[in-house]
Amino acid sequence: MSISRRGLMAATAAAAGMGPTLMRVEDALAQGIQPRRGGTLTTILQPEPPVLQIGVNNQGPTLIAAGKIFQGLVKFSPTLEPLPELAESWTISPDALTYTFKLRNNVKFHDGTPMTADDVIFSIMKFHMEVAPRARAIFQRIDKAEAPDPHTVVLTLKAPFEPFLLMFDVTACAIVPKHLFDGQDYRTAPAVQRPIGTGPFRFAEWQRGNFIRLERFADYWKPGQPYLDAIIYRIVPDSQSRRLALETGQVLMTAAGDIEPFDTPALRARPNLEVLTTGWEYFSPLSWIETNHRVAPLGDVRVRQAISRAIDRNFIAQRLWFNIGKPATNPVASTTKFHDPSARIAGFDPRAAMQLLDAAGLRPNAQGVRATIKHLVLPYGEVWTRLAEYLRQSLRQVGIQLELESTDAGSWARRIGAWEYETSINFVYQFGDPTLGVERTYVSSNIQRVTFTNTGGYSNPRVDQLFAAARDGQTAEQRRVAFSEVQKILVEEVPQIWLMEMAFPTIHDKRVQNAVRLGTGVHASYDDVFLTA
Amino acid sequence: MAFLKSFARNKGAVVGVVVLALVFVVAALADVIFPGTPWDMVAAPFMPPGEMDMLLGSDSLGRDVAAGIAHGARISLLVGAVSTVVALALGVSLGALAGYVGGVVDDLVMRFTEFFQTIPSFVLAILLVAIFTPTISSVVFAIAVVSWPPVARVVRAEFLSLRSREFVQAAEVLGKSRLSIVVGDILPNALSPIIVLSSLMVANAILLESALSFLGLGDPNLMTWGFLIGSGRSVIRLAWWMSVFPGVAIFLTVLALNLVGEGLSDALNPRLAGRRT
Amino acid sequence: MDPAKLPGFLAQRLVKAAIVVLAIVVCNFFLIHAAPGDPASVIAGQSGAADERFLQQLRTQFGLDQPLHVQLWIYVKGVLTLDLGFSHRQQMPVSTLIMDRLPATLLLTGAAFAFAITLGITLGTLAARRVGTWADSVITVLALTFYATPLFWVGLMLVLFFSVWLEWLPSFGMMSVGANLAGLALVLDVAKHLLLPALTLGLFYMAVYARLTRATMLEVADQDFVKTARAKGVPEGQVVRRHVLRNALLPVITFAGIQAGQLIGGSILVETVFAWPGIGRLAFEALLARDYPVLMGVFFATSVMVVLFNLLTDLLYAVVDPRVEVA
Repeated sequence: MSISRRGLMAATAAAAGMGPTLMRVEDALAQGIQPRRGGTLTTILQPEPPVLQIGVNNQGPTLIAAGKIFQGLVKFSPTLEPLPELAESWTISPDALTYTFKLRNNVKFHDGTPMTADDVIFSIMKFHMEVAPRARAIFQRIDKAEAPDPHTVVLTLKAPFEPFLLMFDVTACAIVPKHLFDGQDYRTAPAVQRPIGTGPFRFAEWQRGNFIRLERFADYWKPGQPYLDAIIYRIVPDSQSRRLALETGQVLMTAAGDIEPFDTPALRARPNLEVLTTGWEYFSPLSWIETNHRVAPLGDVRVRQAISRAIDRNFIAQRLWFNIGKPATNPVASTTKFHDPSARIAGFDPRAAMQLLDAAGLRPNAQGVRATIKHLVLPYGEVWTRLAEYLRQSLRQVGIQLELESTDAGSWARRIGAWEYETSINFVYQFGDPTLGVERTYVSSNIQRVTFTNTGGYSNPRVDQLFAAARDGQTAEQRRVAFSEVQKILVEEVPQIWLMEMAFPTIHDKRVQNAVRLGTGVHASYDDVFLTA
Repeated sequence: MAFLKSFARNKGAVVGVVVLALVFVVAALADVIFPGTPWDMVAAPFMPPGEMDMLLGSDSLGRDVAAGIAHGARISLLVGAVSTVVALALGVSLGALAGYVGGVVDDLVMRFTEFFQTIPSFVLAILLVAIFTPTISSVVFAIAVVSWPPVARVVRAEFLSLRSREFVQAAEVLGKSRLSIVVGDILPNALSPIIVLSSLMVANAILLESALSFLGLGDPNLMTWGFLIGSGRSVIRLAWWMSVFPGVAIFLTVLALNLVGEGLSDALNPRLAGRRT
Repeated sequence: MDPAKLPGFLAQRLVKAAIVVLAIVVCNFFLIHAAPGDPASVIAGQSGAADERFLQQLRTQFGLDQPLHVQLWIYVKGVLTLDLGFSHRQQMPVSTLIMDRLPATLLLTGAAFAFAITLGITLGTLAARRVGTWADSVITVLALTFYATPLFWVGLMLVLFFSVWLEWLPSFGMMSVGANLAGLALVLDVAKHLLLPALTLGLFYMAVYARLTRATMLEVADQDFVKTARAKGVPEGQVVRRHVLRNALLPVITFAGIQAGQLIGGSILVETVFAWPGIGRLAFEALLARDYPVLMGVFFATSVMVVLFNLLTDLLYAVVDPRVEVA
């Protein structure tokens, strides 16, 4: 479905009939698979989320499990086209300032209260504005939010903001019940412990350290759905136990980082399992070597170029990630909008790397060492440690000695946030649009002492200008021009040394149908997931 | 030498000494047998033992497991030895102080020791390593901090019983300083349980280091046996050799140290010697 | 011991224990706060986006903006009233979190301990009675083997053998989720899950107790009162039971008391390998997430457990050996 971004755009409910959503159901029907009601999907959640209230916590595991409890106004196809969810249609005014959402009128929260425009406006203007920094940054652009009737929401922006709709996925702006939060501290309200949403599954039970159980919500707005009786998320901290659970059928599905990349080839070979790497398009995580430009010699562009050329990204993709994900070519992932395939970082060439280092005045000493740089190992699992070890060996080939420092998640976050590092690894979600997920790492106005900002301290006025132009551009074309130019500048200056466009395997028993259908993959509501007998 | 004779009578102890000697030789010759760093990616990943000149197979990045074990022996032994020395220094001085001075000092030191024995030691070790970030020195320090209390208790007990002996009283009458009595007269007589204990402490330190590495709290720049197992654990079903061989290395070394410890204990306590097989 | 002295003895011991626990609480507080990183930065780091205001809000909410001594005072006051604080990360009182997890750890360590002490003492006794025979050698070698093998390694091997190859036992978790078992079926289900972790944790301590029992029995068997008993013609079985074992058990019990804390440390590893939902893992995860209140709560709970256990062994001591006056 193609929607021109300018002019009278009316993505109506009819659009739903054309999206990938229904086509996939048709595929299934064509193969003779009728959705079957009943059954429990047992899967894994790792690490255990602290709470299941989206907004209060926005970590991956929270979003995956709570994505079944809550819903957004829209959801996104793998090509990032918006599809109706709680909003059955929406229109955008010709001046791109006013968004009018028509809500479904048969939606109920799990406590039985109907969902209305009041809840939606509360969720956007109060709840997420207060608790979720990412939403706050965007929703501040809203001038006013009105409800002409209980099933219509009109949002007026202060200035046009083309990626606005992307903010209404459940993972960015889940609709919460106003009556359970209003007038309370949102973070400590009782509803945070017993989340109440509009999703197809309601929160049933949580034995900490053991499992979370969600069960079918009888009053769900789609008649006859969801198909599953329940979803159980088991908490399994050890990766080998997780693999074993999948192999022995103790769980039917794993997602995100549950299974280590090196385990996937063996699981792929199992006839009863299916391995998918799609379903991450909305997030498009990109990994890179995070460099702190304040530390010599990393402020020197030639040194960063040299490091970039000393690394064999194909080796990393094949040997470390077993081809789950692919080598990065520039700061915008190819599944994110406005990726420019013509802007590419220079390839693997250790000889060129050494010439660059020579040019930067870094000569080898008696041991062949040109510079010693510290590297904070990302504490998110085995494969990141292997990556650091690989980087150490590759950089040693061109005369850079990488000294590894291991740390835990607590110290890592603090040290990156406080700029107390030389190099590290980082990976960051792009949220579909460079303005939402890429800009923050490179613009000088976002140099902050907080993780996931421009912690490296890169600053280039032209880059700032281009990102600003792209952010405020009214048409996709205007934005594309600015984004293309900024990508061309960034691949030359390599402010961060991009490594991989990451993907995570979703592995499921072949009896599980429709596990990944949206650009948000396993974060979807799962009202259409069913088990064949 | 009665001691050596008695020690040699204990077959287990002799085996232990031989194994330990072997480990030392491998550690000393690591650079000769496996030149270069054990981190080099020299083969295809996940080669089973015997293939591509990999005696014990290669790991997930194609590094030689055998080279890792040989180089790792140095660090594991070093961690074991240094942490034991530090723990002994702490334990012996506190134990001697408590046992010799007695009274309030004894009470204070023993409360202090009790305090350390009440905190679950492994949890404390994890916490210490996390606080000081995982480096070889923080690992050694953490291991030492959690392993001195038994030394202090043993030394205190020995000092308590030796303090009232005639030779100590004689020394006191002669006007020797307290320090020289403690170091010159009592300590030599209390050495045998300390020696026995220290061989076991080295063994425990090696186990503790491997457990820390297993949880990802080892020094990332150093190849140790614990690191090898830690990195092999997650691929245990794909490449059993990655964790089996370092595991065997730990097992053999710790076993040898225990056997030597028992041999020492028998040889130093002749009353019990001969009862063992 | 004279039963009349018991209350006084108990009171004295309890006061002593309380002081030790309080010292531990204060010490832990400083240790944990010395660790770099705070819960706010971890949450900010893991939520994918944050700004200064968000961080500041979190710190204020967690009370991290207060001076350290104020935080300490608030915490100690709380502990004295058995209020262990609130985990802002998990949005739950710490005591609830700990009480949720404690039964699992008690079950695991209890089962492991029972297994270790029964089998350890049995094997140790057997070895001591048959000293020098092949049975002694086998037991000694067995004990040494388990003593010298890393705990987590044994766990991995057991999983490989019993879960992967034989497919007899589940490899992780504490119960089959979603099966809605009750009564005997539930007990059996938990027992099946418990077997491997308890074995893993227990084997090492079994080795310790076996070695200790053997050694002390040999020592005691040499002593005069045993010789006298034998000379008087008391049957051998009775000598072993009534005289040797009883006295040999004292050091074993003392040691077991001291080791209670180690058992909990070991359970961190075992709980990680087997996904056992206990407080060991809770502590480790809390450490990684810098969830201070939870971490301090676990330290407090385990210290109390160890102190109580030591108290129990002291009492047991008095029962096993009436000659020992507990002072």
